[in-house]
Amino acid sequence: MASQEGWKRREPGPVVRPYAVTGGRTEPADGEVLDLIAVVVTTSRSAGAGSEPARRTPEHRKIINLAHQPTTVADIASGTGLPVGVVRVLLADLIMLGAVKVVRQRPTREMPSDDLLREILNGLRAL
Amino acid sequence: MDSARSSAGRPGLTPHKLLIAGGFAVGKTTMVAAISEVRPLLTEEKLTTASVGHDDLQGVPGKTTTTVALDYGRITFANELVLYLFGVPGQERFWFMWDELAYGALGAVVLADVRRLDDSFPSVNYFETRGLPFVIALNCFDGAPRYEPDEVRDALDLDSAVPVVLCDARERGSVKQVLITLIEHVSAQRARAAVVTAPAGR
Repeated sequence: MASQEGWKRREPGPVVRPYAVTGGRTEPADGEVLDLIAVVVTTSRSAGAGSEPARRTPEHRKIINLAHQPTTVADIASGTGLPVGVVRVLLADLIMLGAVKVVRQRPTREMPSDDLLREILNGLRAL
Repeated sequence: MDSARSSAGRPGLTPHKLLIAGGFAVGKTTMVAAISEVRPLLTEEKLTTASVGHDDLQGVPGKTTTTVALDYGRITFANELVLYLFGVPGQERFWFMWDELAYGALGAVVLADVRRLDDSFPSVNYFETRGLPFVIALNCFDGAPRYEPDEVRDALDLDSAVPVVLCDARERGSVKQVLITLIEHVSAQRARAAVVTAPAGR
């Protein structure tokens, strides 16, 4: 695949320490650890007065913008260039403000259904 | 907190994940890149005493980790069904992140190099212990000796049901076949284990 060039590992990034953007917080404020493929989405309240925009950082706003469509935590982390742990802290802030909601927390450990497996198989074969 | 308007009318995004595990430099990044866009994901590794003095933790008292990158890729099918591939580093210092990555995963590929088969022991042990279905994919490096899959199965002391396949991690078609083998294996395991007891933990 010729397009891989664009995805090379980025240079050692900004000089700001990762947890500077969380004010040094390392745990999500609501104590809930979102799975890497948990799905979140921006709510209609994200722009509203009740969501205290003043408390948001540019990183919070980046997340809100990325999550206008339902998006996974992994994609948000990759899209913002922030470590997963930082994204979890910032997402918890936004969830508590009502600006973002979780639409799918984590995969279950139940066995996948036959229908799902068939759908994935068909998808793979069609690649 | 139920302002559902922003997602109204959309079928849900349903992501699922597969793990690509294996030893150092065995071709995990290449494999993910062969079948999907590979993107770096920054996550964290526990700090060891070796990093004390190098990593400035002032002002971050709760921090006991440092940042590492792992690869992930995404394959999007119809109906918002998305398959995420996570490249899992095989070295023991990354083990803390395995539980999280493995939770709810459909299955795993253990990518192996026949010249360094023992590098895949930790991955094999982990998935066997967790009861997560996995396949062994032997990455056919140029110039490496060829072994029959059955020889490798014996060397790794695998259950006879575990598929062992040859692959070229650079080739999209080859990687695709590995993933198909894995999903077929997951399907077969599912049929076999009609009665399942939940593994321990979480």
